[in-house]
Amino acid sequence: MADAALSSPANRAAPAKARVQNVQAPLWRNALFVLPFLVVFVALLVVPLVWGIWLSLHKADAFSSGRFVGFANYVRLYNDKIFWQAIGNTFYFVLLTVPALAVIGLMLALALNSRTRTAAVLRTVFFASSVLSVTIVTLIWRIVFVPGFGLLATVYGWFGAAPPAFLSDPDLVMIAIAIATIWWCIGLPMMLFLSALQQIPGDIYEAAALDNANRWRTFRYITLPSIKRTFVLVVVIQIVLQFQLFGQAKLMTNGGPNNVSKPMVLYIYEAAFTKWDLGLGAAASEVLFVLILIAAMVQFLVSRRKGESA
Amino acid sequence: MSSMTSAHAPTPASDVGRGAPSGMVGRTTGDRIILGLTIALAIVMMAPLLWVVALSLKDNKELMVSMNAVFHAPYTVQNYINILATSSVFRWILNSLVVAGGLTVGTLVLSSLAGYGFARLNFPFRNVLFVIVLMGLAVPEQAVLIARHQLFSWLKLHNTYPGLILPGLSAPFGVFLMTQYFRAIPKELDEAALLDNASRFKIFWKVLLPLTLPAQATLGIFTFLGAWNDYLWPLISGTKKEMYTLTVGIASTQTNFAQSEGLGFLMSQAVFAGAPILILYLFFQKYIVTAVSGAAVR
Amino acid sequence: MTAQIEITEVTKRYGALTVLENLSLSIKANEFMVFLGPSGCGKSTLLRMIAGLESVDEGTIAINGRRIDTLPPGQRDLAMVFQSYALYPHMSVADNMAFGLKNIGVPADVIATRLSEAARMLEIGHLMERKPGQLSGGQRQRVAIGRAIVKEPKAFLFDEPLSNLDAALRVRTRVELAQLRHRVKSTMIFVTHDQIEAMTLADRVVVMNNRRIEQIGTPMDIYTRPATRFVATFVGSPTMNFLKAKMDSRDGFATLTLPDGATLQTAMRSDGLAPGAYELGIRAEAVRPARAGETVTTSGTVEVLERLGDRTLLYIRLSDGSMIVAEDAGLSRAAIGDRMELTLDGSRVHLFDGEGRAFHAVEAAHG
Repeated sequence: MADAALSSPANRAAPAKARVQNVQAPLWRNALFVLPFLVVFVALLVVPLVWGIWLSLHKADAFSSGRFVGFANYVRLYNDKIFWQAIGNTFYFVLLTVPALAVIGLMLALALNSRTRTAAVLRTVFFASSVLSVTIVTLIWRIVFVPGFGLLATVYGWFGAAPPAFLSDPDLVMIAIAIATIWWCIGLPMMLFLSALQQIPGDIYEAAALDNANRWRTFRYITLPSIKRTFVLVVVIQIVLQFQLFGQAKLMTNGGPNNVSKPMVLYIYEAAFTKWDLGLGAAASEVLFVLILIAAMVQFLVSRRKGESA
Repeated sequence: MSSMTSAHAPTPASDVGRGAPSGMVGRTTGDRIILGLTIALAIVMMAPLLWVVALSLKDNKELMVSMNAVFHAPYTVQNYINILATSSVFRWILNSLVVAGGLTVGTLVLSSLAGYGFARLNFPFRNVLFVIVLMGLAVPEQAVLIARHQLFSWLKLHNTYPGLILPGLSAPFGVFLMTQYFRAIPKELDEAALLDNASRFKIFWKVLLPLTLPAQATLGIFTFLGAWNDYLWPLISGTKKEMYTLTVGIASTQTNFAQSEGLGFLMSQAVFAGAPILILYLFFQKYIVTAVSGAAVR
Repeated sequence: MTAQIEITEVTKRYGALTVLENLSLSIKANEFMVFLGPSGCGKSTLLRMIAGLESVDEGTIAINGRRIDTLPPGQRDLAMVFQSYALYPHMSVADNMAFGLKNIGVPADVIATRLSEAARMLEIGHLMERKPGQLSGGQRQRVAIGRAIVKEPKAFLFDEPLSNLDAALRVRTRVELAQLRHRVKSTMIFVTHDQIEAMTLADRVVVMNNRRIEQIGTPMDIYTRPATRFVATFVGSPTMNFLKAKMDSRDGFATLTLPDGATLQTAMRSDGLAPGAYELGIRAEAVRPARAGETVTTSGTVEVLERLGDRTLLYIRLSDGSMIVAEDAGLSRAAIGDRMELTLDGSRVHLFDGEGRAFHAVEAAHG
């Protein structure tokens, strides 16, 4: 060992130059594993994303890629009252659905967080709607809301009354869409809250019971702080999800009456695929992208702060 | 996106209830009231579904007279027989099976390979590439929809199965999930296999991949369900009636829905389309719930 | 098959952090070599460099004269037993053991022979069709060793293989390992932080600390003639006593003056030792209560008693405030608060100078 210090520098340099087979060394051939995905990822996500931005700066239709118009498409959006209305509708819809989903989801989770068979059956019921496709959901809810022969009309009919015109009253259409959406989406928040409740160690509750905490105080001081992070996560996930409202609005009201239920994605769809004004549609989708990005950033920040609270 | 460290599956539904406060002595009337309210809400939840099923079992002529006919006999399966005879629903189911199945298989293959690559192998620009892929998680479908549509027009991929399948393969979520899962497997297994003279691909295929089956199940269910229920892309890409997926097909029948003519038929079609996935849900509830909620949290 | 392993001037860095520096080591064929050191000393890194799981930044590693540090791990003809065993969870015990052999195209009948031989030797024949998850910790450990044996490697590498076992099983497995090494003629390198494992298993021990080798020697060498203060501290339980001491030479032997003024005549030759301040190291077994008629070196008060059954450890406060641990018989009648006269064995002292050099009263067993 001692004579190690005597070695000449030349001696030391030689082995380092040899072809070293290092199992951790970066090798191009290792990239072969990620290559198939990366090709698809770049071709169908990165390129379209850049292309979309490029399109938004052009006047383009289905047959030509168009000419450069700068920010003209964005200016047109800015001056389009219907676009502003679509943004407003989208926010209104998020406001209608997200708090309801979070609160109802939490209440269901609290009510069904037990090992009884009844609770298991009820959980199955409340999650079941989540596996249906949007077209079946809207079909179901149209047949509930539709005047004349809908479920609601039938029930009201028993009392000799007429139900509110959920699908045609401008004040009610968004609420109708929101109800259908909450019915469709309630399973996920419930399950997320349930798995968060599972993470709370049972002995805390036993300690609280020994401390004579009542139901409300147990909830307020033990349950709620323990699931705070999940609550924020649920809210952000639902904001991102509900921001992309499309199918329900298209199929239940097609944006009507008079655009009061037209969300942003429907606006984009119509601009691009019914009017074939691709540039305008692309510009609108960039606006949507930025809004969703903000929500996604919040989600990222929230999930990064994981260690802070359970 | 939260759990960077744990690749464990979230609590399966069947285990829900452990350590719950209600497990303690002293269930009160309060508990019973809450249970009663929840059951009532569950019935309200079910009502629209039952309504649709009931309508599908009625003859149209009867419904034209009064909707209250729903509540009493006679019931008929004639609407379902008509589906078997006339509807395009089978073609749509076939299309959905091909699209959802193809997308699921493709996603599992690409994500597993890439997940292993990112988690275990070193190559130039690996970390930069991984961050770029992660950033892809934040890109909503709508932001790339129009450009994709144009691209597929030029490639003449609309109204083809590849055209319906390919866009879904670019979603980075599966790669993210599998990378997390591979990272959670002890590295000593790779090292033992390296000493056992196994090639990198052999280590992936024989040693690690069998251990990722739970993640494959989660990702597979999540992908299949998402593809089966997808509406936006199939709507703009598969525009020919014979290339409709089930979701788009059912939507196409809804347009002439104002007159109650054929109402029972329409409803039976909806039941026919929704029932398989609901039955699958009842059988594989545990896995589906795990997959969907697990996927959401990550 | 066996291997003579030559590690020459090896350096390992992680970014700016150097974990091994210019380290050279020669392991003889059929030798059982133990790398001993605290966690983070680089002993596992060195083992993994031999295995090929870590790259060598500078220097070379050769087996039987052939350089191997440029070869991938699978081509080095080595077998490794991991701390976590690293058994393939989805394969049966038999498949675990056969995997490496199949990979290099060993014929099926040869594989079968080797497997049954190893199963017999390790008494795991009844477990061959089970999955690792169905085995106990001790059984997994045997399978991991079996997986190494069937490869008939040039050398076995053990990375703390006993540390996941409970205490009783660890002792048993240690004894079995000692037996195994006489049946399997091969070079073995064993990494541990447990000095008892090192002492009981090794032909030679490499004590490592802080990127460097502190000492290479037989277990008794390490124990009786620790090359540095670190080795003296790390090996032996209870830890060696250290006292400040002033050295003078008398009749060619070193005489020490302890902090409380006591003097100790040692059996250490003083030629080559400059008079002055040193640190005296003496193990508890060389410090005992003085019997009647014996020379009393120093005295103090018993503060703590540890009765270990076969012996009793006395923690004694000397008059200057320093603490010394002495050893007494198992049935010692000492009690806390007792005044105790001690005799220090001058033939078993060690001196450490300010530059970390060590001097011993005990002559080297060889050379």
